[in-house]
Amino acid sequence: MPDWCELVRQRLAGIRLDPDDAAQVIDELASHLEESYQNFRREGVAEQAAVGRALEEVDNWQQLRSAMELARKKEIDVNKRVTQFWLPAVVTLFLANTLLPVIQAFGPRWTPSPTPAGLIGWSPGAMVYVAWLVSLLFVGALGAYVSRRAGGSMRVEFMLLVFPVLPYLTFFLIGLPLHMILDERIARNVTVPALLIGLAAWVILPGSALLSGGLPMHYFASRRQS
Amino acid sequence: MISPGIKRGTAELAVLSVLEAGALHGYEIARRIEYETKGSLRFTLAALYPMLYRLEKQRWIRGTWETSPNGRRRRCYRLTPTGKQKLSPLREQWTELFVALHRLAGVSDA
Repeated sequence: MPDWCELVRQRLAGIRLDPDDAAQVIDELASHLEESYQNFRREGVAEQAAVGRALEEVDNWQQLRSAMELARKKEIDVNKRVTQFWLPAVVTLFLANTLLPVIQAFGPRWTPSPTPAGLIGWSPGAMVYVAWLVSLLFVGALGAYVSRRAGGSMRVEFMLLVFPVLPYLTFFLIGLPLHMILDERIARNVTVPALLIGLAAWVILPGSALLSGGLPMHYFASRRQS
Repeated sequence: MISPGIKRGTAELAVLSVLEAGALHGYEIARRIEYETKGSLRFTLAALYPMLYRLEKQRWIRGTWETSPNGRRRRCYRLTPTGKQKLSPLREQWTELFVALHRLAGVSDA
């Protein structure tokens, strides 16, 4: 019986894959050919004929080498990652962060209501904040749409939609508590309720708005593609 | 004999269908498909393995290395939950195609 690994290695010599990948491809193909050979031997085919018939499973070694190179190319994965995740994630992050100052500068203006009830809960800041949250629905939908068009899965879309709030989450969970430990003044001024409000205002609500805009887009885009 | 173009389209369905019954390695997948289709569908290595790698990248199947009784390392493929989800619509699409062809040209799906 031939050394199938050596045989495949020789026939695929010069395959453009990294050594680990090439070794795996060679192992797998050698295993296939060896099983084929053994199967022919069990059927009573003579050794040389069995080798020949097993090798008939490969029409053209050159073609096999090219097909393997293409199939195992890692660049394809990298490109996919960029188009499905990084590009929409950066767009979503950029828009989510620039829209707040833009709305603050050019967005709806607060006008005092003549009734006392109208004044309750509608400060200029709240008005801008709510407008920003609403805009995040569209930002989320855009990010999900870009990812979906590139073939992004639900999981990828979920990750890119929460991506813009991750810096804030890191700040509230790690940065601020660390500062509170290191700086007594901050520790005195920041209360637990304020910390929770900040977490809700900068992480939970914006994250929910992005997801609320993006996840329905996943279903919408999936239905259009099918 | 089925033409290569049609084969390419049916290949994913064939692989996912045989893996639905349980984990198989490459050689077994090829033989099972050949057996189940009475020799109509036959894959060369250049057709089978790139497709398996592509399905694995799409996370429809998952490959794990195992050692065969004769000590040879071989890769065993299993259908993932995503692959199971994809199989049903694929089947429906192919059934639709066969029904449409049947109506159009009297091609039987049996």
